[in-house]
Amino acid sequence: METYKYTKSREYFNRALKVIPAGIYGHLGPAEGCFIPVAAFPFFSQKAQGAYFWDVDGNRFIDYMCAYGPNVLGYNDADVDAAALKQLEMGNCVTSPSPIMVELAELLVDTVAMADWVFFAKNGGDVTSLALMTARAATGRSKVILIKGGYHGVAPWTQKLGYPGITEADVINNIYVEWNNYNQLEAAVKENTGQIACLMATPYHHPVFEDNKLPDVGYWQKVRKLCTDQGIVLAIDDVRCGFRLDVAGSDNYFGFKADLICFCKALANGWNLSALCGIDALKEAVSSVMYTGSYWLSAMPFAAAIATLSKLKKLNGPQVMQATGKQLTAGLQKIAANYGFDLAISGVPSLFYMRIANDDSLLLHQEWVAECVKRGIFFTNHHNQFINLALTNEDIEFTHQVADEAFQAVKKRHPEVG
Amino acid sequence: MLDDLTRGCINLHAILRNLEDLCDLDPDARGIIMNKNLSILFAAKSIPPALLVFAKGKCKMTRGTGHHDIKLFFKSPQHFNRMIDGLASPIPLKGFTKISFLTGEFSKLAERLAYFLKPTPQLLEDERYSEINTILTAYTAFYALAEIGNNDPIGKLNAARIADGTVGIRVLNGGPEISLIAKGGKLEIKKGIEPEARAFMTFDSLDTASGILNGGLDSYACIGNGSLEIKGYIPMVDNMNKLLAQVAAYLK
Ligand SMILES: Cc1ncc(COP(=O)(O)O)c(C=O)c1O
Repeated sequence: METYKYTKSREYFNRALKVIPAGIYGHLGPAEGCFIPVAAFPFFSQKAQGAYFWDVDGNRFIDYMCAYGPNVLGYNDADVDAAALKQLEMGNCVTSPSPIMVELAELLVDTVAMADWVFFAKNGGDVTSLALMTARAATGRSKVILIKGGYHGVAPWTQKLGYPGITEADVINNIYVEWNNYNQLEAAVKENTGQIACLMATPYHHPVFEDNKLPDVGYWQKVRKLCTDQGIVLAIDDVRCGFRLDVAGSDNYFGFKADLICFCKALANGWNLSALCGIDALKEAVSSVMYTGSYWLSAMPFAAAIATLSKLKKLNGPQVMQATGKQLTAGLQKIAANYGFDLAISGVPSLFYMRIANDDSLLLHQEWVAECVKRGIFFTNHHNQFINLALTNEDIEFTHQVADEAFQAVKKRHPEVG
Repeated sequence: MLDDLTRGCINLHAILRNLEDLCDLDPDARGIIMNKNLSILFAAKSIPPALLVFAKGKCKMTRGTGHHDIKLFFKSPQHFNRMIDGLASPIPLKGFTKISFLTGEFSKLAERLAYFLKPTPQLLEDERYSEINTILTAYTAFYALAEIGNNDPIGKLNAARIADGTVGIRVLNGGPEISLIAKGGKLEIKKGIEPEARAFMTFDSLDTASGILNGGLDSYACIGNGSLEIKGYIPMVDNMNKLLAQVAAYLK
C-alpha cells in the first residue's frame, strides 16, 4: 500500500504560521493533537462525507476522530443538513429567536431522562461553566469537587495553577479526588461540610494518554446518595459521551439521575450547539445566572439537533455504534496479537480508547498510529476514538487491513517486541 | 514572582556549573586553569552545596561536599545572588592563602563564562561562538528547569505533575544530550540520554534550541513545522514545557 504525502497541507500550514498563533492552535493542531511524527499527519481537510474526510492533497481518511465527537451520523448527513438549510431560508441569527428552539427543548426534555428544562449555548465549555455557576447560585457555596485527570473545557477554573494565564484565584475552589475512589470523595466532602456547591464528573473516566475506566459497580449510586444527603449539586459532563452511550443521557446508562447534565458534541452532528439540562429544583437558579452569547439562540443548529436526535433514536444509534466499536476493536486486538503487540482497549466501544501496552512510553503506539494515518485511517495516539453511524462493514474491513500492514511495519523496526 | 532561593540554586547549579563545560569547549578557559589543582566548596545557606574541582586542565562540578581547599560561605541565597551580580563578596571560611586564585584565575573564568552566556548579534555571527553559546544555554536552561521544579512554589506544582521516568532531550547537529529524571515530583538533570527514557524532546539544530530556550521562537509552531519533535509519554513533556516557560523568566 502506498503511503500518503502531504505537500499542500504543509504549504497551507506554512502560510498559517505567519498569521495564526501556532499555525493551528488547540486540539485539531499538530502540538495538542499529538501528531507524532508530524510528517505522518494531514493538517487541513478539503471535504468530508459520511465516515470519511479528504485532505487538501486529496488523500482519503476513514475518520475515527469524528471531529473529536460531533460527527455521529456521518459528515454532511442529508437529513440533518436539509433541516438546517430549510431553517436558514427562514432565518438563523435574528433578534427574536425562532420557535424551533422550543421544539428542540421539548424534544430534549422528552428524550433525556433527568431533564425538566434545557439551556442552549455553543461549546461544551459554555455549559460546564454554567453548570458550576448554577450550582453556586443554587447553594450559595463556592467549592467544587472534580476528578483528577478529568476535562471540562478550557475556562480558567478548569485549568491548573502553573499553567500559563492561570492565577491562584481561578482554581482556589477546586478540590480533586481520584476516579472510582468513593472513600476519598466522602472524606473530601466531610472536610468541607457545607462548602461544596457541586461535584462535576464525566459519566466514566476518559482521560487522555491513559486507559479509560468505567464506574465500579455501585459507585454512582453511592455518589448520588452522598450528594443528595449533603445538598451538593451532581453535575454530569456528558459533552463527550452524550448520545453515544444512551440517548436518554449517560447517567441513565449507568443507572442514576444527575441534577445537571452537559451536552455538546454529538447533539447536532457538527452544527454548533451545546445544552445544559437540569431538574426543576435548579430552574430558578439557572435563570438567575447572567449568561448569554451572540450566537447561542441561532436557529440552524436547533433544526439540525432535532433532525440528529430523531435519527439517532430511530436508528438506535448508541447501541449500533457500540456494536460497531466492538467489531472494530476485537479485530484490531486479534491482528495486534499476531505480531506480538498487546493492544489494550478500554472505555465504552462507541468511543473506545486504545494503546499498545508493550511499553509504558506509548512510543510503539505512536509509531503504529502514524503508520495507520499514512495509509488512510485517521486515529489519534493520545485520546479516545469515536465511532459514527456512517461506518460500513467494508470500512471496518479496510481498517483491519491497514492496521495489519501498520503492525507489520512497526514489527519490522522492533523485531524484539512480543 | 521570582523566588530568591530558586534564583540562588539556579545561579550555582545551572549557571556556575557551566564552568565545567566551558573549560571543555573553550581553549582560552582551559588555558586559564591549565596548571591549577584546587577545589572550592560553595556553601550558601539553604542552597545545596556544590564542589568545584580543577585538576589536570579540567574542571568538574558536583552537587554535595567533599575535600576542598577553599570554602566560600554565603549567609543567605540573597547574599549568594548578590555575589553573582557582582554586588557582594563571599565570606571565605577556609583557604585564605589561596584567595588569589579567586581574584585572579577564577574571576577571569567567570568573565569568560559571562562572555559566552551574554551574546550580542555580532558575536553570534561567529560560528564557534554561537555553538558554545547554544550548548551552554541548553545546559543552563535544563539545569535551571530542575532547580525551578524543585524549589519555586509554582514550579513545584508543575514538577509534581511529571510522571516518574526520564525525558531524553537532544539537540541535533552539534548540541548536547540531556536527561531529565523525575521521581516522586523531584527533578534531576544528567548529561547523556538513558536508553529507557519514557519521552523525548528533540531540537533539530542548535538554532532551534537557542531560539526556543532564549525566547524568540514559539515551541508550538516549532512542533508544527517539525523542527522540535516530541514523542513518547507526552504528559511528561507537556509539564516540563510549563517549567521551561518559567526558565526564561528566571534567566532574564
Ligand atoms: C468531557 C468534556 N467536557 C468538556 C469539553 C469542552 O467542550 P468544548 O471544547 O466544546 O468547549 C470537552 C471537549 O472535548 C469534553 O470532552
